[in-house]
Amino acid sequence: MKKPLFGRRLLLALLMSLYVTIVSAGQADLVKDTATLDQDTQLLKKAVLDLNKDLFLLEEELLYPSNTQVAVFVSMDVGEYFALDSIQLTMDGKDVSNYLYTPREVEALHRGGVQQLFLGNLKTGDHELVAIFTGKGPHDRDYKRGATLKFSKNIGSKYVELQITDREVQLQPEFAVREWE
Amino acid sequence: MLPGPRANPFLARIVAGFFVATAPLLAIAAAADGMTVKDPHYGEVLFQFYKQDYFTALTHLEAYRQKDRINHHLPEAGLLEGGLLLSWGQHEEAGKLFETLLANSSEPAVRNRAWFYLGKVRLQRGYIDAAEKALTSIDGPLPDDLEAERYNLLARVYMEQGRFSDAVQLLSGWDAPTLWAVYARYNLGVAFVRMGELEAGAALLDKVGTTPILPEAREELLSLRDRANVALGFAYLQADMQGESKPVLQRVRLTGPFSNKALLGVGWADSNNNDFRRALVPWLELSEREQLDSAVQESLLAVPYAFSRLNADPQAAQFYAQALQIFDAEIQRLDSAIADAGNGHLLNTLLTDDDPNVAGWTWQLTSLPDDDGSRFLYFTIADQRFHEGLRSYRDLIALNAHLANWKEKLNTFDDMLATRVQAYDERQPLIDKRLADVDFDAMHTRYAALAEQSRVARQEHDVVSLAPAEEQAQWQRLVAMEQNPAWNLPASRALREKQRVLKGLLQWNMEREFRVRAWRQDRNLAQLESQIEIARQQLSGLDAATASIPATVNTLSARIASLEPRIDMLQGQLRVAMDVHANYLQRLVETELRGQKERLLAYRAQARFALASVFDRMSARNQ
Repeated sequence: MKKPLFGRRLLLALLMSLYVTIVSAGQADLVKDTATLDQDTQLLKKAVLDLNKDLFLLEEELLYPSNTQVAVFVSMDVGEYFALDSIQLTMDGKDVSNYLYTPREVEALHRGGVQQLFLGNLKTGDHELVAIFTGKGPHDRDYKRGATLKFSKNIGSKYVELQITDREVQLQPEFAVREWE
Repeated sequence: MLPGPRANPFLARIVAGFFVATAPLLAIAAAADGMTVKDPHYGEVLFQFYKQDYFTALTHLEAYRQKDRINHHLPEAGLLEGGLLLSWGQHEEAGKLFETLLANSSEPAVRNRAWFYLGKVRLQRGYIDAAEKALTSIDGPLPDDLEAERYNLLARVYMEQGRFSDAVQLLSGWDAPTLWAVYARYNLGVAFVRMGELEAGAALLDKVGTTPILPEAREELLSLRDRANVALGFAYLQADMQGESKPVLQRVRLTGPFSNKALLGVGWADSNNNDFRRALVPWLELSEREQLDSAVQESLLAVPYAFSRLNADPQAAQFYAQALQIFDAEIQRLDSAIADAGNGHLLNTLLTDDDPNVAGWTWQLTSLPDDDGSRFLYFTIADQRFHEGLRSYRDLIALNAHLANWKEKLNTFDDMLATRVQAYDERQPLIDKRLADVDFDAMHTRYAALAEQSRVARQEHDVVSLAPAEEQAQWQRLVAMEQNPAWNLPASRALREKQRVLKGLLQWNMEREFRVRAWRQDRNLAQLESQIEIARQQLSGLDAATASIPATVNTLSARIASLEPRIDMLQGQLRVAMDVHANYLQRLVETELRGQKERLLAYRAQARFALASVFDRMSARNQ
């Protein structure tokens, strides 16, 4: 007996869609629209990106002029002995940042990203920065350590780096603050 | 109360398949892993990139480059920018960048990698010829994993272009030991089947269908095995090879996304062997499943068909009637969903729980609202065009919200500048007044006089002039005694002797301290001169700073004034683009839903016709 119509239809449909690709025949107008829409969207997004860059620069120049600007960056090298939870930052005794990290941010630090933790303004002269690192240390124990840097601010931007590294010999994390050369 | 969104593993699987576009960037920048960051701002861009906040990463990269803050990383910054643009869907711009970058690059490995990713994204976006151009521009070997994928991609390009023999030729000579090889075998097998070369295709598909499962790619391989077994099973069915078809289809997992088609096929294999009793087993199981699936819908017809072939007309009539009820209800729901798609309701429902944040460019649709309209969208979302379009639409909404936020900030900036001008106007007169009393020339004259005194004292060995005030006073008193008229009288002899001793002692002290005092004096004078100079420079800097405030404020005000209309203009364009996208997506949804409806209408017509035939047979028997 001949196979019923619905069975033949499905067989044909299945054989036409076997590929690991996305093909939709008979929709030429939609395909054309897809390409046009994609190109227009790309142009628009590029214009927004350019504008966003200009706005970003304006904001920085307005709020953090280069003469007084100070930026504190966080970097991590390996970081096997310390799982970062948060960093508390004080500048000349005043709290300026209290940052709680998401897993994605910690992963970004692990992979070599450098986070700009703080951007602000300082007068010329001598200053003291204290960073308190909180997280889990070796053997998953609560871990809290501090690091201090006394530095002199002159005219021009000042970049400071908080560095989390592993001290292999002691199987402990190490925390350092240094001026970025 | 409406039920909330539900997580759907099937949907997640479909959607996950379309987000390989982010993978290029990760691999492009893999070169960055382990590199030494010399410029902190380049590290900051990498941080945003690793966070997958591509919009912010791109913004910062361009801003920092303009500010000369990433000069140590300019070569890799270009490649990173290209990768970021690709991940953000800007493949046209990325293509131009790569072409410029690669034409000037002397590093073949970098150039080849860039062409590879460009080709991959172009293929994903349906630019088949452009993808071929990129993939064939690779001149030299890629790393093993990429090389394997390149073959696969190029084979897909050929298949998309209908050049099956080229695909066969490409893949035949390639035996890579990777997951990509399994994909390639699958595609090649399908290509053979489509060309009518079942035997060659079956050998490959059978190999994929029984491929060992690697722990690192367990789910992917299981899914590919199911897909290959379904493809091969139906190819055998098409060739009336029921005996070969059934065991292949029975290898498909009963709970996987391909199980419905496999159950249907197993039923057809038995049915084609005229074993309708056996065919009913998988078909009855299938008819109880989610009725959106075309295989399930077909089983609603297949079950009564089998009953009718078993001469069980009452059961056949019952199942046909039941199928008709289901088809009617589904057609009604589809009509309602089509109407909802037309008025934009479905689109809004999809994005109900979305937070339009530019940092969420990795946004993925992993759940659908649990309502009648949205359930039809599962298969629409499997269409890459719909998914890309929805993602673009969502991006446009987020960009519009981002610009609205900037607009508010600009108003605040305007207020800040106004406050600065006011503070300047109030403070400047006071500062001017205080500074007017500062006379650097007089200070310097005074310093010069002191320096000369010191020089003379040193030259003339004037120990007294460098002595402390107390010693100088003692010295003066001792010297003054000698001017007394009675000084030389005999009665003053004892006093003279005492004065001589004291004077000698004092002089001895001053002589002893002279060199140290002279050195201190010189040091203090040098410090004084330096401090006067610093003060003079600071005053000069202060003058320059205060003088530049009005100009700086004016420049910033002008920039704000020029940025505001740009925001307005782009927000207008974004709104138009959002409407266009919404309309496009609605059309995609409507097209898909109408397709589903047409299929159901055809099934319903067949069910009615078959039911009538069954009734005819039953009444003929009764007469």
